[in-house]
Amino acid sequence: MKLSTLAQLAALALFSATGLQAQGLDPRALSLFHQPADVWPTYNGDYSGRRFSEIRQIDQSNIGRLTAKWKYKITGIPPLRGSGPLVIKSTPLMVNGTLYFTIPDHVFAVDARTGKEKWRFDFEDHGGHILGQRGVGMYGKWVFFLTPDGWFISLDAETGKERWRKKVADEKMQYFTTMAAVIVKNHVIIGVGGDAMDVRGYLESRDPETGEMQWRWWSEPLKMGDPGSETWPNQQAMDHGGGMTWMPGTYDPELNLLYWGTGNTNPVYAGQGRKGANLYTDSIVALNPDTGKLVWYFQASPHDTHDWDNVETPVLFDLEIDGKPRKLLAQAARCGYFFVLDRTNGKYLVSKPYTKTANWSKGIDERGQPIPDPGKEPHVDGSMVDLPGGGGTNWWAPSYSPLTKLFYVNAQEGYSLAYLYDTSREPQGYGGGSTGFFDPASSLIALDVTTGDVKWKHTAKGEGGGIAGGILTTAGNLLFVGDSDRLAAFDPANGKILWSEKVGGRVSNGPSTWTLDGKQNIIVGVGDTLYAMTLDGK
Amino acid sequence: MSRTSAVLLSAAGLLCLSVISFGPHMARVSAHMQEPNLQRPQNARGNGAERSHIFLGLGRIPDEAAAKRGEPLFKQSCAVCHGADARGGIGPNLLRSVLVLHDDKNEEVSQVIKNGRPQSGMPGFPNLTAEERNDIAEYVQHQIELAANRGLYKYSGTMSSGDAAKGKAFFAANCASCHSTTGDLAGIGNKFSDPTAMLARIAWPRDRGPRQATVTTPDGRKLTGTLAHYDDFETTLKSADGTASTWPTSAIKVEIADKLEGHRALLPKYTDDDLHNLTRYLLTIK
Repeated sequence: MKLSTLAQLAALALFSATGLQAQGLDPRALSLFHQPADVWPTYNGDYSGRRFSEIRQIDQSNIGRLTAKWKYKITGIPPLRGSGPLVIKSTPLMVNGTLYFTIPDHVFAVDARTGKEKWRFDFEDHGGHILGQRGVGMYGKWVFFLTPDGWFISLDAETGKERWRKKVADEKMQYFTTMAAVIVKNHVIIGVGGDAMDVRGYLESRDPETGEMQWRWWSEPLKMGDPGSETWPNQQAMDHGGGMTWMPGTYDPELNLLYWGTGNTNPVYAGQGRKGANLYTDSIVALNPDTGKLVWYFQASPHDTHDWDNVETPVLFDLEIDGKPRKLLAQAARCGYFFVLDRTNGKYLVSKPYTKTANWSKGIDERGQPIPDPGKEPHVDGSMVDLPGGGGTNWWAPSYSPLTKLFYVNAQEGYSLAYLYDTSREPQGYGGGSTGFFDPASSLIALDVTTGDVKWKHTAKGEGGGIAGGILTTAGNLLFVGDSDRLAAFDPANGKILWSEKVGGRVSNGPSTWTLDGKQNIIVGVGDTLYAMTLDGK
Repeated sequence: MSRTSAVLLSAAGLLCLSVISFGPHMARVSAHMQEPNLQRPQNARGNGAERSHIFLGLGRIPDEAAAKRGEPLFKQSCAVCHGADARGGIGPNLLRSVLVLHDDKNEEVSQVIKNGRPQSGMPGFPNLTAEERNDIAEYVQHQIELAANRGLYKYSGTMSSGDAAKGKAFFAANCASCHSTTGDLAGIGNKFSDPTAMLARIAWPRDRGPRQATVTTPDGRKLTGTLAHYDDFETTLKSADGTASTWPTSAIKVEIADKLEGHRALLPKYTDDDLHNLTRYLLTIK
């Protein structure tokens, strides 16, 4: 670590100890790489999405002493409509000693020291798809929450009292909202989900004080003739092309670029009515956060016909390559490719399958984008791909450690069959489906970011268990992730299991960490229960 | 949570990667969702299609009887412009109509049918009764349900490709060392008459029963039995006499007979044609 970085850290530590209490979240806590130790201010901790923490009180020498300090179990909420038991998928924010986390329709504020509930906000939805809720965003003393039926709600962080609500998505059109808002300067960035009815994806910026829209970026060009429209056959297909923006993106304050993944193309499995690459679905896009204007794009699954939402975190990191400092972005994509791009311009350094061969593609084009094989599109009698139906990974947070220079992903390996049902000229909805998970494996994979090669891989033993949830790496040379019914710590250098503790089920969110009263805490969600772990549980 | 339920939950998590597995009555092939569902639907009522309707938050369930009554009326009066399946012709696609999607009680659609939209060239149908207009609107709502509710998706049940003779040759070359169509696979075409079920069965048979394993214990003994639990941390082996022993997985060596070695080796080699040919062939083994 450079001296200047240490000085920065010291400065951050100073202000965080004194200045935060009264005003809620200090905007200086939101940084590219170095958040203060006593705060977890946004979904990914910092803007980079690396989920690497510089805290190293817990390390390889004392990890054996890590155990639960407190548990918070959600009570008094019935199973969710149609989806059953309550599952915490959100990563809790930790600001001024309070944890803020969610499940669909509910926000919780819990004392980070004791696990005691401070307040709870309950919402009754009127529709929308209930599958997950990624958490809240925070600006000053205000918390922002999105509901299944498209309400964008601002709450007082102290009391949980509603300040206002704005409608941002139409559940009747089958949009739904699940993401944790990303705060960039005075912009609250929110995305949408919903691919049942062939609607357009979009990303919005809203004013943190009024909730009014500042800009909206659409996932497809607006009209024929616009840049990118040449990848669509007609206006109608473009107007219904999907590309949902349902996972929090990342941000580089110096470049002032927002990086976002877009979801699958619609109709999902039936591509015959939308010949072409279908920009900007299944892409990583770089947007100006002040205007919502596209600066560059990289398409991970051109003409997607396998539901491979490209919303996995675009992780930002800096690295010296061939003697030159580089600003990079890496993503382990659902389509089975690992990409490393220059985040200033979107030019690729690495584009390579990270599980099997990604046999839906015939290699990569000159920009590093995979070339889809028309012969492997869904077929009325089934077409086999060497990825599971859900893809090589999913929304589970990946991690990059600047200590090992490795990228870590919770991956699924196996084969599946994609079927085409709707053979009409202009299909609608899903129009097909996928089935099977043949030769299944659940693996924690460490990737070399300069080559895309697998540095090590840990495939979970047994069949019922497997790697669960997101990944956290720390300066204590630890990698945290769920495995079977435990939280486990791996050696990030070689994949050796160093520690584990039973948590009564599968880890359901991305682990996070912060320090309070001089104690490093590891926070993890398991179904309806949140755990705080410390050395000796103290 | 007991270990059994933890394992079940994780198994459900893995399976749901690719299938909304609501029950045995669902079409065998179904679309997966935005992200895997870690939850097991516990309190869900009704059949698979009803449950996926509720899960997706699709609003009220259209009245099928009314939709059935509305179908001939739609075909007679509306299809010429809006298409036989309401997906559009010279008139707009009604399944993607904002007005239709918002019209919970068919009130607005009914008015449009009655009065038409003269400004966009749609004639009114004043001769239709209120009930008939409602039935037509319900037919459109039902078409929307068929497109949006993945729980209703059905495979056609018949194959469009594949050559049984080529499948027979592939079988002889690649499968016959372990399988026989007059032995273990006799009548397989009756057991798996649905082509999608047959294809999945060919690719990866799942019902292998309890896993037999040999454990080499820390003190060097070799024990054989059935794996009652096996993950990265703990292994429990049940011997033939019913006694169970548990070790940390890192302290022992576990050897599991790989009954699916042949299937695993073929997965990267199959072309889709191979799979369709094999499926065709095995469907003929009655």
